[in-house]
Amino acid sequence: MSKEIARFTINGRECELLIEPCTSLLEVLRDHLELTGTKSSCGVGECGSCTVLIDNKPQLSCLTLAITVQGKNIVTIEGLASGNNLHPIQQAFVDCGAVQCGFCTPGMILTAKALLDDNPNPSRDEVKEALSGNLCRCTGYVKIVDAVLAAAQIMKKGGA
Amino acid sequence: MERELSVVGKRLPRIDAPAKVTGEAKYTVDIKLPGMLFGKVLRSPYAHAMILKIDKSKAEKLPGVEAVITSEDIPVKLFNSGLTDLLVPEEIAKNDPRDQYVLSNKARFVGDAIAAVAARDRKVAEAALDLIEVEYKALPAVFDVVEAMKPGAPKIHDFANGNIARHISFPGAIGDIEKGFQEADVMIEETFNTTKQLHCPLEPSACIASFDSIGRLTVWSPTQLLYLARHKIADIFDIPEGKIRWITPFVGGSFGNALTLRAEPICIALARKTRKPVKLEYSSEEQFIATQSRQPFTIAVKMGVKNDGAITALQGKLTANSGAYYSLSGTTTNVCMAMFATLYRCPNVSVEADIVYTNIPISGGYRGYGNPQAMWALEQVVDVAARRVGMDPVEFRLKNYRRAGDPGWTASLPIESCALEECIKLGMDKIGWREKMGGTKEGVKRRGIGMAIQRHVSGTQPMQMTHSNIMIKMNVDGSADLMVSGCEMGQGMFGVLAQIAAEELGLQIGKIHVVNGDTDETMFDDGQHASRTTYVIGNAIIETARQVKQQLLERASKILATRVDDMYVRDGQIYVRGDLENKISVEDITRRATYNFEGQGRNIAGKCSYVPKGNPPPYSAVFAEVEVDINNGATKLLKIVFAHDIGRAINPTNVEGQLEGGVMHGIGYALTEEYMVNGNNGVVESDSFTNYKIPSTLDMPNVEVIIVEQPTPSGPFGAKSVGECGLNAVAPAIANAIYDATGARVRDLRITPEKILEELSANIL
Ligand code: FES
Ligand code: FES
Repeated sequence: MSKEIARFTINGRECELLIEPCTSLLEVLRDHLELTGTKSSCGVGECGSCTVLIDNKPQLSCLTLAITVQGKNIVTIEGLASGNNLHPIQQAFVDCGAVQCGFCTPGMILTAKALLDDNPNPSRDEVKEALSGNLCRCTGYVKIVDAVLAAAQIMKKGGA
Repeated sequence: MERELSVVGKRLPRIDAPAKVTGEAKYTVDIKLPGMLFGKVLRSPYAHAMILKIDKSKAEKLPGVEAVITSEDIPVKLFNSGLTDLLVPEEIAKNDPRDQYVLSNKARFVGDAIAAVAARDRKVAEAALDLIEVEYKALPAVFDVVEAMKPGAPKIHDFANGNIARHISFPGAIGDIEKGFQEADVMIEETFNTTKQLHCPLEPSACIASFDSIGRLTVWSPTQLLYLARHKIADIFDIPEGKIRWITPFVGGSFGNALTLRAEPICIALARKTRKPVKLEYSSEEQFIATQSRQPFTIAVKMGVKNDGAITALQGKLTANSGAYYSLSGTTTNVCMAMFATLYRCPNVSVEADIVYTNIPISGGYRGYGNPQAMWALEQVVDVAARRVGMDPVEFRLKNYRRAGDPGWTASLPIESCALEECIKLGMDKIGWREKMGGTKEGVKRRGIGMAIQRHVSGTQPMQMTHSNIMIKMNVDGSADLMVSGCEMGQGMFGVLAQIAAEELGLQIGKIHVVNGDTDETMFDDGQHASRTTYVIGNAIIETARQVKQQLLERASKILATRVDDMYVRDGQIYVRGDLENKISVEDITRRATYNFEGQGRNIAGKCSYVPKGNPPPYSAVFAEVEVDINNGATKLLKIVFAHDIGRAINPTNVEGQLEGGVMHGIGYALTEEYMVNGNNGVVESDSFTNYKIPSTLDMPNVEVIIVEQPTPSGPFGAKSVGECGLNAVAPAIANAIYDATGARVRDLRITPEKILEELSANIL
């Protein structure tokens, strides 16, 4: 199969790859770039585990062809902390007990980031609505929603 | 005087959380070895078929394919894919049929593994599957237990007449059931059905297997029982056990799914054939259709009750659908029977079960392990009985439940502690039981409340052998390595066990480093099952930490010229009682012990093997409030209040998290999760998150957890278990609330609007 060049920014760095046109962004991230923080569960757009930010919008990387993100800015879970300082949403997930097995966590955190960037003061229901496409089989969501609300408070105080 | 705790009981962040919020945590699926091949499995499209011929030549010729294997390439050894049969002596274990091969030579369900491929990349492996030519001869198939037991039904295994894999009589039966029925003023007879719930961990099953040049095998897999998995694999493949190293990385959820072998045997067979590292990852669809799930039961109950509410007789007749193979059906059925028979005081009890083969996927073990099925029936029957004799269902339960001192799930082990009354009292207040009971009886939207209780275990003792083996070694900087076999699958064992170790050693939590789940580094443990980790491993850690502390204190005693008994360790300092100035740091002791120039050198360390003697059962009371639209049967779950008797919460945040998650599985079991098999061809139709709906944020009501702490004598710092308890009694609490709201009694899971409407129209007629 003929290969094509995909160029995009990943976690702040330019990246150029030769890939088959049918390669999903998820495969590129996990297999080619070894950014395994982005998780693959259903592989067909049902669970939200593979969520990344593309130009600040949460997108399912399993359904995104890598060649369609030309020139775009992609953020994965590996790109959220600055150095050893966790992003306030990451910190809130740690502090509120929102992490159990952790498999949904990267997708949850990135979806929450897009929400809070857009709506810094969401209600509990708005958080639940925003996270409704991210499945978690462990937590019952209570502490995940708590964490997003706690992070909103911290970010308002200038924590990010 | 109660000892003041400095680490246990604190809401400390989990120690594995930073790795998980940054994407750094490695799961089996994230691991890559140089030269690694990818495996794929060919699965039967038929529910029941003879395999006449397999031609793999075309597949073998595809460039990039390194091996194609069928049942002929692997050891001809029948095994049980469940792992816990290794925990009972052979004379008992052999009652459970060994009926599986690594690859089947006859297809017994749609999805049965027939052949497998290893290739240089995933796509080639997938393409090769299409080139394997299998000639099947389709056989008549049967999916329903009643049909399967009829004369003339298709025979799934030669040895199982009537497709009955095993009949079990509950060994704890007591009294004379007929006499009990005669003594009753009121008889209740009801039959219930439960569904085949799917675990749905987000990380699908996976395995990596690699043989080195001297034939030593290393396996990475998300199993809950690594030592048992190693033992069984050694037996199947006839590899000396010391030649297998088994590593369990972080696990992306399991809930019992990994109590059985899953991807491991086929992956290992491929690695053995190719002598190259092989990774086998199940697709999401394979996870749904080919891994094991919760046993569906039919439970026919007969209960006799006196007018004053005393239970005179309890009879259960159970039929379990084992699916195509036996796996954990025996133990699950035993637990189901024990939980059913022993929650309440009753002088005449009898329970019988048939375990039946059908041509649907295998039933394994799932969080709760038979208890949710038992509670679905029992806790509704109790609700019916209470109403029949005119008692509040809560009062009825309080009158009858087995409490401290009564026999527990086995008669040989009396119940050590019980805080159910406190749970019920607090839960009733929180939900507003007295005000809301009876619901609104007017209008289209009817509200009601219901409750149910459960009792679970803190391990499998005395039914199965169980022991934990712990090592703690001190580092020169005063920190400790805690070596423990196990599986961090989200339940929080790293943090909880580190908190226990830190408390007993007198160290800060940051000084504990958990070394986990690697048979080269950690000693035998039967693993993560039966909610045993906190209680059994926690106690093992306390014993080990005491040895370490003794060594620290003996050395400190010489330096501080004080008796060992007059010193204690706290926050990394060794103090002399009553003299805060007279102290030495743990670091100072460990440094002087290791870099010792007086000929007294020693790595301070402890090691212990711990066999639990008790099994204190945790109790819970669940309250549900619902609103049902009687025109269309739609149920809105408004609230769940869950009060849990934990003994002591080592980490309250973690206890809440376990219960909230368990409640969510219970809500799914009751309301959203529907397992569907096509009745014509046996194809599993609930094969994805779209076709099998686990709860999302929007399906979750307000859930309030109440932790009741009454330390249990034999628990580590008084702790009992929590892991499985959250889901056991949620579904019947919801069903009882729907009855309270509408008068509709739904006996078959899942609760659907149609079933509610059907019951309502039957009530009117
Ligand atoms: S893996 Fe992309 S949505 Fe599930
Ligand atoms: S923490 Fe396990 S799936 Fe969410």
